[in-house]
Amino acid sequence: MNSPVMTSDHTLIEVDAREGAASAGNQRIVEAMNRRYDAGFVTDIETDSLAPGLDEGVVRWISRRKGEPEWMTEWRLAAYRHWLTMIPPEWAKLRIAPIDFQAISYFAAPKEGPKSLAEVDPKLLETYEKLGVPLHERARLAGVAVDAVFDSVSVGTTFRKELAAAGVIFCSMSEALREHPDLVRSYLGSVVPSSDNYFAALNSAVFSDGSFVFIPKGVRCPMELSTYFRINAINTGQFERTLIIAEEGASVSYLEGCTAPMRDENQLHAAVVELVALDDASIKYSTVQNWYPGDENGVGGIYNFVTKRGDCRGARSKISWTQVETGSAITWKYPSCVLRGDDSVGEFYSVALTHHHQQADTGTKMIHLGRNTKSKIIAKGISAGRGQNSYRGLVKIEKGAAGARNYTQCDSLLIGKQCGAHTFPYIEVKNPGAIVEHEATTSKISDDQMFYCRSRGIAEEDAVSLIVDGFCKQVFRELPMEFAVEAKKLLEVSLEGAVG
Amino acid sequence: MVAGFLEPLLADGVARQGSQSGWLAQVRTRALEQLIRDGLPGPRNEAWKYTSLRAIGQRRYARSDPAAATRPIDANLLDLPGVEGPRLVFVNGGFRADLSIIADVPGMELRSLSDVLEAEPDSLREFLSRSFDNAEDAFARLNTVLASDGVVIRVAAGARIVPPVHLVIAGAVAEKELAWQLRCIFDIGEGAALRLVEHHVGENGHGHFGNVLSQLALRANARLDLLQVQNGAETASLTRRTEALLDAGAHLEMRSIEVGAQWMRHDLAVRLNGDRSRFVSRGVFALRGRQHADTRLDIRHSARDTACDIVWRGVADQRARGVFHGAITVESGADGSDAQLSNKNLLLSDQAEIDTQPVLEIHADEVKAAHGATVGQLDEGALFYLRSRGIGPAQARSLLTLAFCRVAFDSIENGVLREYLDALMLERLPQAADGDSQTKSSQ
Repeated sequence: MNSPVMTSDHTLIEVDAREGAASAGNQRIVEAMNRRYDAGFVTDIETDSLAPGLDEGVVRWISRRKGEPEWMTEWRLAAYRHWLTMIPPEWAKLRIAPIDFQAISYFAAPKEGPKSLAEVDPKLLETYEKLGVPLHERARLAGVAVDAVFDSVSVGTTFRKELAAAGVIFCSMSEALREHPDLVRSYLGSVVPSSDNYFAALNSAVFSDGSFVFIPKGVRCPMELSTYFRINAINTGQFERTLIIAEEGASVSYLEGCTAPMRDENQLHAAVVELVALDDASIKYSTVQNWYPGDENGVGGIYNFVTKRGDCRGARSKISWTQVETGSAITWKYPSCVLRGDDSVGEFYSVALTHHHQQADTGTKMIHLGRNTKSKIIAKGISAGRGQNSYRGLVKIEKGAAGARNYTQCDSLLIGKQCGAHTFPYIEVKNPGAIVEHEATTSKISDDQMFYCRSRGIAEEDAVSLIVDGFCKQVFRELPMEFAVEAKKLLEVSLEGAVG
Repeated sequence: MVAGFLEPLLADGVARQGSQSGWLAQVRTRALEQLIRDGLPGPRNEAWKYTSLRAIGQRRYARSDPAAATRPIDANLLDLPGVEGPRLVFVNGGFRADLSIIADVPGMELRSLSDVLEAEPDSLREFLSRSFDNAEDAFARLNTVLASDGVVIRVAAGARIVPPVHLVIAGAVAEKELAWQLRCIFDIGEGAALRLVEHHVGENGHGHFGNVLSQLALRANARLDLLQVQNGAETASLTRRTEALLDAGAHLEMRSIEVGAQWMRHDLAVRLNGDRSRFVSRGVFALRGRQHADTRLDIRHSARDTACDIVWRGVADQRARGVFHGAITVESGADGSDAQLSNKNLLLSDQAEIDTQPVLEIHADEVKAAHGATVGQLDEGALFYLRSRGIGPAQARSLLTLAFCRVAFDSIENGVLREYLDALMLERLPQAADGDSQTKSSQ
């Protein structure tokens, strides 16, 4: 992802102001960014960059650079030390080329973006056209930015005022650590501990930024929150950390990601998302992920290794995950719900598509602890080309979860001879009052369906997208409306060339 | 280095086995080396996620029963109503000619493994050269190293054997706790048919560790009807690995009833290697006390138009734990495959646990594959229906639980055998005892 300014620890408005001041000195920034550093790190007034490599010094530097309190630095260091003792997970059905963690720069200033749309890859522009992305947004998404951002900046500012009036805190994680340190401290790592897994530990040590959302007691967030409009969240880099807290009776719908393809130089994204829902609160978290999937031959592309977990801490709380995963070379994510509060509800709706050489190992975990907790899992996997798509899920009913209920449905659709679709559900039940149901099917688009469509004059590709759309409908209708429309188009674009 | 469980068993290296052919010695030495290198799988081994080997791993068993040939055993245990035909009996891992009934059935060769190994070991090379290269198959390796006896059944091409062959694997009380090994080979020739009953029984009061490795080869268009009744001693431990290879048009029909043993693990690996081969499995486990049963199915479709149809039921009561893993893999090129698996479970106590994991791995696109798994309780509506017809609550539960389990064997045509299995199941079902006492007390 390219962005013209260093944004990771500045608020939206600051970015704006800074850009104005620095525009004349753009050349200097570029020079500074292009400078080669032999070892260690360099601090520059205009821009900062870390040479590749990771040690305690790097972790301390990131923390200091962001002006974090002492406890935060220690928290990061503890995570880093724990990470050193861990080994990368190997259980997923993924072929992952070894990652050299010392070759990654953990705090890199953004690279220089194209100067105008004319310099942007025409293929990318073609895709925006098909997705119907508004013109001024195309430039921003392609990383042209600077002028084109202005609209969004003002939009963002308007949002902030309205949200502040409702008492909602919606800001970057860095800002939250400065403005609301106690709030962050009491919740950060409480859902995904820094030692949770290999990538979560790495994220805890080096995360650069992310979003922080706090909905106070009884407040229904007046609008759908989205990183899309928050300019400073866009270039939070490869290690994003999101924390959303809904207090008693609060509710919020949060949309992460973007339907347009993002060009990103980063190879590894290891994000962590933590959700906390107190009594009667509800959080809806929707993701549309379309990172660069690599080319037709499987070269390049993003490793998307994400830990997402929601804690239904309060009674009658509800957390709902919806995800549409079409991008990334490798996806490894399992948005989960810990159903701690009695009568709490967890939901997971997912569409995962793999084409060409993409691999996805995704699913969810529903951990039922409280009484009468309910969970529902709808997972749809589509494999095309040489794509490998796995659903991996755990439904665990603990002893105390009397009256717990789970329903899981996993369907896979195969398009082509060389793809694979796999289902690995784990069901563990320790309470005799629970009811757990799992069903899964795998099939290709039936010849009958195709023939029916073709006989009515529908072109082959259109027929496929029609059928795929029907296949995914249960998930799409959980998405906010405008994104459902885009998600549908996104599948069409992603499946291009899959048939015939 | 090996310790605990393996140490006394491996102390003397590979067991003597017939006239040691060069190739056979090689296979067995290799298994021994692998076993010494890897030991028993730990909890991080995915295949042993739900079944801990810690307790077993600390126990020490004697390597064989020196008195197996004469060990007295209750003859009533060996009978299975409705099954009358050739009978092969093994007690504590040793073949018992005195208890066996070996009739001369045309088209079928029925011998002990030691016998075949002595005379013509190379005729079994196809089977015995099998090596186990995954650390999770520790018990198959152990069997390779130690098994010196077992059974060999070969059915000639085209022969259709009518009387069912009754294979009895029994455990008897001995001076020491034993770890015994059996290797069984079933080779069903082209177009041949066989009915086989694998029957595990045991006298209570012994804590032997039984380890059975069975290999089934079904040649083109062969058919095998296999009934497994596992009613081992409640104090015993039993691990089994059954491997079946199906050629074109072959049909394996299996029914499994698992009620015995304190600790039980069954690995069932089926390879649908020939076009149009078909595997049908009906099974049930009913557990109580502190029983632990782990059934692991691994079905692989490697040829076109192959089919599998699997229905398993599980019941766990008291402090029992039932584990079911049903994996179906459709390999690339296995177009026209049809794979169906259903696993339903009843959890009857808050101390019991059920873990189920149906897995689908699909690498071909002309495929129909589906699986379903549930864990729950008896249908309240059905209970109410029975209650409204004057049936007591315990009896109603018992009736419904039996009906739930019966799926495993209700298609058996042999009425006498089916009734016996009904009774066996009813006796094992937890609600039955309550039902009887309630009925009695109300009378």
